Amino acid sequence: MRSPFAYVPRRGPLQSASPGAAVLYLGALATVAFVFSNPLILLATGVAVTCAGLLAGARRAVRAGLRMALALAALIVAVNALIVSRGETVLARLGDWPLLGRVDVTAEALVEGLALGLRAAVVMVAFAVYSACVDPDRVLRALRPVAGRSALTASLVSRLVPVAAADAGRLRDAARLRGPGAAPVGRAPMARRLLAGSLDRAVDVAATLELRGYGHGGGRLRPERRGSRHDSRFRLVGAGLLALTLAAVLAGVGGFDAYPTVEIASDPATLAFAGLIALSGLAPRP
Amino acid sequence: MTAGPSPPRARSDLPGTDDLAHTPALRVESLTYRYPGAAVPALREVALEIAAGELVLLAGRSACGKTTLLRAACGLVPHFHGGELEGRIEVAGVDAIEAGPGALGAHVGHVAQDPETQVVSTTVAAELELPLELQGARPASRARAVEEVALALAIPHLLERAVDTLSGGELQRVALAAALVTRPGLVLLDEPTSQLDPVAGDELIWLLRRLNEEWGVTVLLAEHRLERCLAAADRVVAMDSGAIAFDGAPRAFLDWAGRSDPALETPAARMFSLAGLAPLPVGVRDARTQLGRVASGEGGRGPTVDRPQAPLARRQDPPALTPRHPPAATLGDLWVELGDGEEAREVIKGADLEIGAGERVALMGRNGAGKSTLLRLLAGLVESVKGRSTVPRGIALLSQNPGDFLVRERVGDELPGDEGMAALRVVGLEHTVDADPRDLSGGERQRLALAIALAGRMDGEQLPGLVALDEPTRGMDRACKDDLSELIDRLASRGAAVLVATHDVEFAASFAERVVLLGAGTVVADAPAPEVLSGGWYFATEVARVLDLAGVITPEQGAEVLGAGGGEGA
Repeated sequence: MRSPFAYVPRRGPLQSASPGAAVLYLGALATVAFVFSNPLILLATGVAVTCAGLLAGARRAVRAGLRMALALAALIVAVNALIVSRGETVLARLGDWPLLGRVDVTAEALVEGLALGLRAAVVMVAFAVYSACVDPDRVLRALRPVAGRSALTASLVSRLVPVAAADAGRLRDAARLRGPGAAPVGRAPMARRLLAGSLDRAVDVAATLELRGYGHGGGRLRPERRGSRHDSRFRLVGAGLLALTLAAVLAGVGGFDAYPTVEIASDPATLAFAGLIALSGLAPRP
Repeated sequence: MTAGPSPPRARSDLPGTDDLAHTPALRVESLTYRYPGAAVPALREVALEIAAGELVLLAGRSACGKTTLLRAACGLVPHFHGGELEGRIEVAGVDAIEAGPGALGAHVGHVAQDPETQVVSTTVAAELELPLELQGARPASRARAVEEVALALAIPHLLERAVDTLSGGELQRVALAAALVTRPGLVLLDEPTSQLDPVAGDELIWLLRRLNEEWGVTVLLAEHRLERCLAAADRVVAMDSGAIAFDGAPRAFLDWAGRSDPALETPAARMFSLAGLAPLPVGVRDARTQLGRVASGEGGRGPTVDRPQAPLARRQDPPALTPRHPPAATLGDLWVELGDGEEAREVIKGADLEIGAGERVALMGRNGAGKSTLLRLLAGLVESVKGRSTVPRGIALLSQNPGDFLVRERVGDELPGDEGMAALRVVGLEHTVDADPRDLSGGERQRLALAIALAGRMDGEQLPGLVALDEPTRGMDRACKDDLSELIDRLASRGAAVLVATHDVEFAASFAERVVLLGAGTVVADAPAPEVLSGGWYFATEVARVLDLAGVITPEQGAEVLGAGGGEGA
């Protein structure tokens, strides 16, 4: 079965946009998540990337990304609550723990963990949408004029990763099919076999690249100039998001402090900023 | 044959037009090659010249040197694989040893056996564009070349698809397109049909013939299933132990094979040979024409025979299937869905099937028909969404890649103790206990993997109720297939039902008593093998296509029908 994050060619605006425009748009949303810790803004950014993915038809990628992201967010919240004892609102005193010492669970640490988890979740979903919607061949082609060999190495790796994943699945199946009288397959022999198989595959793929002319060096690689009619939309929204983010930072919009008590800015400017961020998720609509 | 006009070329390093007509597409002189660390050479004093516009079939048993010769012709040997090489190879007048594979890329295209490792991009369009891009072609000429090669190979509808969503047949066509997109004069193909169903395999061979006739592409094609491509070839080169054993016309090759290496005979030629008819036919059409002539007394030597008519056919009618009890496997209204969300698709749709103890059953159908899924379901690797499946006395499944079962460096470590030795004895490999699995031949590795699947499942002499093999003959020559047939007979005689998913109609005819034909997840035919394998166009043996008689599918049966007695040995 294909990975939910694998690129699926579709005719949507985000898929047909040039890699630069798509990366600018999704990168701007990820930037917002990195710059702000305010949960309202992070939630709005999460809504935007989810909406963008759904409108682009990447439902599987969004769903899988959200599943992984929420699990990671929950872990971050739990770890932050156990490790950080700052904050005035103590919800539970869990006594002395080995290595951690005295553990007090505070509301502030929970909220800070939530903000960190939300940030990680937004970035993961944005990456899931990028992975499912932006053609890696076009990205690598755009990079070739500046880093030809690195781009081709990346091509090789990006091709071998799903092949290795498929190999691992087959090896697992074969291990289940072994008779009870055969030596069981432990993790180490399985890993060795997978590595050996991947090396064999890599040799085959490298031979194919040789035959396609890679080793010959070829002529001067020409950059792709083809664009899409949707490019301007994503460039405009991406650049607008970055400009808005800069302006919001300079104006002190979207403040957030977890300690000593939680303070989440929810003034009209912050709400308006969050609303605009959420609306940017509509950019990929057909 | 006469070569068609070569496509115009812009490369300045090509010989001039006048020279081109006289320059061989491939010239090999006294080529001897040894892989690094190998005890014996893979190629020995090979001398060969292939003229531009020829379609040459490279025949020979497994490990006879076919793949190595193709690698040498595209520069991978010795540049990529290393080793010691003596002699000379020229491709379109270019010294291949000096130039290397990258520089030869403009002159020669190479398609290997496994299409999975021949694609390096994410989408088909990008895959086709890559070689041109690496040669520095302009975007406009790249776009045109991609469009033209896609049209030539009938794959324009695949251009926007991701390569990991393609079937084996589609992927093989894409690999061929990527090899042809730079318009090389010579294309080398290493068993390109080994993973294809009969329909896709035949289409690929005729596509090569069309490229050869219309574009003037020189083709060097290595194949085991000679009956598929002999009729399309201008010439056959047979190899044995790294040397060229025969080089001549297809009909002369059949005469040579009959005398020197019967494992290379095609089924129709073997039928003619057993029936004492000559000359041996190079394909179905040739065989039918000759039988027509013989029947009308126009020519040919050997016994005069009448064209067999329906009464003879009725004599061959197979007996009706009678269920054997207890059943080794039962499927009832079975539905299987793979994938989820938007990509979910029904692979098995309401299949009903019962396989009796000791039955030898071939499971056939085109690529993607659901054969592997059915076997995986029986083995518990996938679940059904509706219906029931039972395998009362257990199943041993050998999946498509036997190498997946081999994870250690000594056979005895894979199969320790008495149970391991018992399993090795069942497959006849007890003498290999100290060998490294990687040193075994392809057929031996297949049997070792089967022993691993069977190990410990033999209470006394009792095997699992069902032994299932998924595409076990890929890349095997006929001698290996005969060994596998014998093994299947042994397993069945010990009470195990044997279910083999295969595209190989000739192999199915050799071992199966019953054939189940799947079409898009449903059972479209389930009858004795002679009935199924003689009743269609694609899923029919070569003998059945020649004689078109119900129930006559093997050369021996065909020879008997032709009236010369089928009892003679090969």
